[in-house]
Amino acid sequence: MLLAYAQLSLQAFASIFAPLFGQRGWRLSALFKQMVNIGVASMPTVALANFLLGIVLAMQGAGQFEKLGATDLVAALVTFSILREIGPLITAVIVIGRSGSSITAELGTMKVEEEIEALDVMGIDPVKYLVVPRLLAMLLMMPVLTVLGEGVGLFAGWLISVTSLHLDPIFYIHNATAAVEQKDLWTGLLKALMFGGVVGTVCCFYGMQVEGGAEGVGKATTKAVVTSLTAMLAMDALLTTLIYFI
Amino acid sequence: MSETKHKSPYAVEVRGLSRSFGPRKILADVSFQLKHGEILTIMGGSGCGKSTLLRHIIGSLKPDSGEIYIDGTETTKLDDEEFSKVRKRFGMLFQTGALFNSMTVGENVALPILESSDVAPHIADLVVKLKLELVGLTGFENLKPAQISGGMKKRVAMARALALDPDLLFCDEPTSGLDPVMTSVIDTLTVDLTRKLGMSAIVVTHDMTSAFRIATQMVFLFEGRVVATGTPEEIKANPNPILQQFINGYADGPIPLKLSKDDYLKRLLQS
Ligand SMILES: Nc1ncnc2c1ncn2[C@@H]1O[C@H](COP(=O)(O)OP(=O)(O)OP(=O)(O)O)[C@@H](O)[C@H]1O
Ligand SMILES: [Mg+2]
Repeated sequence: MLLAYAQLSLQAFASIFAPLFGQRGWRLSALFKQMVNIGVASMPTVALANFLLGIVLAMQGAGQFEKLGATDLVAALVTFSILREIGPLITAVIVIGRSGSSITAELGTMKVEEEIEALDVMGIDPVKYLVVPRLLAMLLMMPVLTVLGEGVGLFAGWLISVTSLHLDPIFYIHNATAAVEQKDLWTGLLKALMFGGVVGTVCCFYGMQVEGGAEGVGKATTKAVVTSLTAMLAMDALLTTLIYFI
Repeated sequence: MSETKHKSPYAVEVRGLSRSFGPRKILADVSFQLKHGEILTIMGGSGCGKSTLLRHIIGSLKPDSGEIYIDGTETTKLDDEEFSKVRKRFGMLFQTGALFNSMTVGENVALPILESSDVAPHIADLVVKLKLELVGLTGFENLKPAQISGGMKKRVAMARALALDPDLLFCDEPTSGLDPVMTSVIDTLTVDLTRKLGMSAIVVTHDMTSAFRIATQMVFLFEGRVVATGTPEEIKANPNPILQQFINGYADGPIPLKLSKDDYLKRLLQS
């Protein structure tokens, strides 16, 4: 199982880089279609989730810091946690639920309807044809969505602090920028890229594995979502350790 | 197509093919040959292993034992890359059609053309129109598979299988679900392509009229074994009672129903 997953992932990444070595290029139209499916269509949900979390973070922070008489720290807390952790994480969760599951369901349905076998017989490599555009779209869109989500989350934190918590709008921004470094942004985006790779490979893998009709598709989709979430969180822990504690 | 192009006198040769799924033996020692330019029909009851046999020949499944030769090349031992070269000459119509549901009819037929070489899109369009015309589906290019009938799907699948003018055509029940006129059109098409273009074909079918109309060779399977092979005349004259029952479609005969009416009543009363 793990071996088959590793094999598919290797094959997919090899196919992604193959055009650099003079092989036939990526299918741009298929890639754009997947970027729209995975990325653009997820934007409203990602924005909404980050917006709400930005608000929650600011309010929870304010509640705690108020006791210490340090509500100014709200700006630091919101900015710091959204860039480093919450932004990439919640974006990945949304993408797994929305796009990851649909990748598995779509590939799985193609598998049980013999479409993948038909591709094989036509001499079309299903990995190049189906997996690569989806994986590549995940790798590209996860960071893009994360940036969008982080932007919205930061704005939400600022908005609630200014309107309900009566913090000074300019002073908030000043505090916020002082609390973080550029590194925080980059590491967040690196996480997003890695999450994209994990989610893309896991969901494609489960889709291509499906056996046994509609029931099989349902089971595989559940497994893909659970595995993606777990693997994503493990990856997060690993990257956080590597980046900040070593 | 000249005879010298071929490496072997047989387009397809199957020797001693066996395959089990778990404890169930689905194919047992199946052997037959198909000469170039001929049509072989595989017949037999539902569930006797016809589709499974075809899947082995096109390389989707690997046998437990036995060999398959495609124009003299043993294919069961080829790796994926080598096999994909052999497959370039295949056209396959799946029993369920296996059309790509996310694409239109036209895109389905165009796919193998566009993928096999750098054909200009307008040339591919032209070929698509031609192939759809062959199966009587002019003007349906822009519909999705979900918007056409079962019989139409079969015919689109046929057009797609023929898209690259294959040397070897495999059809899994191409005419099931078609009306008699369309059945005849597809049969004539298959025969014409083999006679005129030298294509060879293996056709799985239940339809005896259709089988006797197109076949030059017949293989009859029963519970995973070859019971009879021969020309249509030989098959008709074959006294094997299983074969005769099948050809003539009698309800009574040696072909066991898995559960007879009496059995059913008995079991019902026991439980
Ligand atoms: N992947 C599989 N796993 C387990 N058993 C299988 C598998 N594929 C086919 N079988 C079994 O093999 C037997 C033959 O199936 P096959 O599809 O080849 O029949 P068939 O002759 O094409 O029947 P039909 O005329 O109804 O299409 C069936 O009993 C089926 O249960
Ligand atoms: Mg079948």
